[in-house]
Amino acid sequence: MRQDQQLNPFEKPSILFDLREAKKNRESEGVAFRLSIPKLQIFQGEKIALIGDSGSGKSTLLDMLALLSRPSSSTRFRFCPVMTAESNKSELVDIGMQWRKGRINYLTALRKQYIGYVMQTGGLLPYLNIKDNIGLSRNVLGLPDDGTVTELGRHLKIERHFNKFPNSLSIGERQRVAIARALAHKPAVVIADEPTASLDPYAAKTTMNLFISLVDEMGITLIIASHAWEHLKSFGFKSLKHQTQHLGDITESIVSG
Amino acid sequence: MLKISKLAAQDYFFEWQISSCFVLALAAVLGPILILFGLKFGIVGNMIDELVNDPRNRELRPINSGQYDQQWFDKLEARSDIEFVIPRTRIIAGSIQLKSKTSPRIQNVELIPTKSGDPLLSSIADIPSGFNRIILSKSAARKLAVKPGDVVDGSIARRYKGRNERVHIQLTIQAIAPATAFARDGAFSSLSLLEALENFLDGHGVPELEWAGSEVTEPGYYAGFRLFGRTIYDVLILKEWLNQQDVGVKTRAQDIETVQRLDRNLSAVYWAIAFIGAAGFSLSLGASMWANVDRKRRELSILRLVGFSTGEIIIFPMVQSIITAVFGWILAVILYNLTSVAINKMMALELAPGQQICHLLPIHFVVSLLFTCLAATIAACLSGFRAARIEPAEGLKER
Repeated sequence: MRQDQQLNPFEKPSILFDLREAKKNRESEGVAFRLSIPKLQIFQGEKIALIGDSGSGKSTLLDMLALLSRPSSSTRFRFCPVMTAESNKSELVDIGMQWRKGRINYLTALRKQYIGYVMQTGGLLPYLNIKDNIGLSRNVLGLPDDGTVTELGRHLKIERHFNKFPNSLSIGERQRVAIARALAHKPAVVIADEPTASLDPYAAKTTMNLFISLVDEMGITLIIASHAWEHLKSFGFKSLKHQTQHLGDITESIVSG
Repeated sequence: MLKISKLAAQDYFFEWQISSCFVLALAAVLGPILILFGLKFGIVGNMIDELVNDPRNRELRPINSGQYDQQWFDKLEARSDIEFVIPRTRIIAGSIQLKSKTSPRIQNVELIPTKSGDPLLSSIADIPSGFNRIILSKSAARKLAVKPGDVVDGSIARRYKGRNERVHIQLTIQAIAPATAFARDGAFSSLSLLEALENFLDGHGVPELEWAGSEVTEPGYYAGFRLFGRTIYDVLILKEWLNQQDVGVKTRAQDIETVQRLDRNLSAVYWAIAFIGAAGFSLSLGASMWANVDRKRRELSILRLVGFSTGEIIIFPMVQSIITAVFGWILAVILYNLTSVAINKMMALELAPGQQICHLLPIHFVVSLLFTCLAATIAACLSGFRAARIEPAEGLKER
C-alpha cells in the first residue's frame, strides 16, 4: 500500500475512519436524499452499530466507508487501517483526495486488503463452491491457503458444505458463508449491512453471535447496520447518533459519532 | 488477469445452458461461411488446377506458317519460361495414310512431331524416335482397330517428274495417346519422320528410307512449331514476346482469364456474404454480451467489492466472449467437415479422383479462428467497458 506523505499524522493513531463535513446526495425516482456527517470518528477495534429505519441512509454511509461510493463533498475523509506486520506502520490515506483524483483502482486495492463486506443477502458468486466463495477475498490478494478458510468454516458450522454451490444452501447458511468471506483475509475492518435481516429471529441471533465472537477473536473493527440494537448492545456495540429531518423536498439524515 | 480469467471461465461453464446458446448462435453463422468458402475455394481451386495441370492450356499455336531455323529454336530452348518446344513441318506435308490388318479402311491421320518431355504425352514413358514408331491418337486407334504393338502400313504419294509415286513405311504402334492429348485422328512421331515425309513430298530423296528423289541442298527451315509455356502465367509473356517478333500465336488465354474473373467474382460475392455474416455475428454477440453484463451486474459488482480492478472487470466479458468464439469455431469446423464430406461424396462421380468440390486448407481454419476471436473481442469490448462503468454500490443495490 502507498503511504500518503502529504498528510499530517493523526493525533490518535488508533483512528480508523475520520470524516468531517462529509455529504452524500442521492436522488431516486424524484425523491432527493442527503446524508450529512458533520463529524465521525471510528477507532480500531471498535464495534459500531448503525441503527435506523429503512431509507435513513445506513447503506449509503456503509458504502462510503467501504470506499464503494464517492462522497458528494467532504472536508476530511481519512482512512487509517491497522499496522501491517511487515512495516509496523499504519496506512494513512486521504480518501477524499483519492476520490477527487479518480483513483478508483487504488481505492479498490485498499478495500481488497483492509475491508471485509457482508451484504444483506450474502452476495455469493453462484459459480463458485462454498470453499472458493469463502477463499475469494484471500484468492484476490494472492494469499496462500493457511487453513483460515477451513477454520472459519468450522467456526461458522459450514465446513460440511464446502463442496456445494450457494444455491443448495439455506439463507442462513449463505449468510454465514458471506461472513466467512468477509473475514477470511483478516481485514482491518468488516462492514456489514444488516447481515441477519433476512433470517428468522433464532437464526439471526445465532448467526450474529457467531459473527461477533469471531470478530472479537480476530480483533477486527466491526461496523454494522442493524435493527437489533437490544441484541447488539449486550456485545458492547457503540451506536452512532442519528437524526432525520425534512428540508423542503430533501430528506436529510445526519449521522455523527 | 489469470484470476479474473479463471472466474470468468468458471461462470461461463456454470451457466452452460446460456453459454451453449451463444456457441450455437456463433456456429450457425460461422459454419455456413466456412462451407461457402470451402465451395468457392474448392470449385475455383479445381478450375485453376485443371488450368494449371492441363498442358493444352499452356500451348501457344502459330496462326500462320513461317520460316524458323534451328538457331531460333535453340534460342527458345534456352528460355526458362518454356517447357517444351519442337519444330513442325508444313501442315500440308504432315499427314499420312494408315492401313491396318484389322480394319478395312485407310485412315488419313495428321502427324504431330514429338520428343521426350512432350507435355501432352506425359503419361507415356517411351516416346517414339526414328522412322518406324508412332503413338496413335485414341480416335485414330479406334478407327484402325489397333492396339500397342500392332504394325500398320503408312503411305504417302507425290507427283514427281510427271509420275505418280507412292512410298510405304511400316509403323509400329508404340502406345495409344490419351484422349486429352489429341482429339482428332493423329499420330505422334519423331521429327525425323515428319522431315522425311516433307522432303519426299518436295521431290527430295530420303536415303534412310530408300526413297528416291533429288538431294536436299538448301538449309532447312521449319514452317511451325509446337510450344508449351512452363506455367499458365508464362503464356501471356511468351505470347507478347512472340508477337514482338511478328509471330502470331493462338492461346487459351481467354479461358485462363475467364477462370480468373470467376475467381474474382466469386471472391467478391463470398467476402460480401462473409462481411455481412461477421457483422451480424459481432452485433449479435455484442448485444448478447451487453445484455449479459446487465444480467451479471450484481456478480460483477461483487467482484469489484472484493477488489478486482477496472481492467480486470473489463477482461471478464472478454474472456467469456473468446471462449464462445473458440467453442463456436470448433462447432463450425465440425459442421463444415460433415457438410463438406457429404457434398464431396455427392459430387464424387463428377470429379476426378482426389478432387474435392468443397475444400479448405489448414491455414483457412487458423485464419478463421483468429478472425472469430478478433470479432468476439471487439464485440466484447463495449460490454467490458459497460461492466467497468458499473458502480459497485449501484450494482449491489439489491441487497
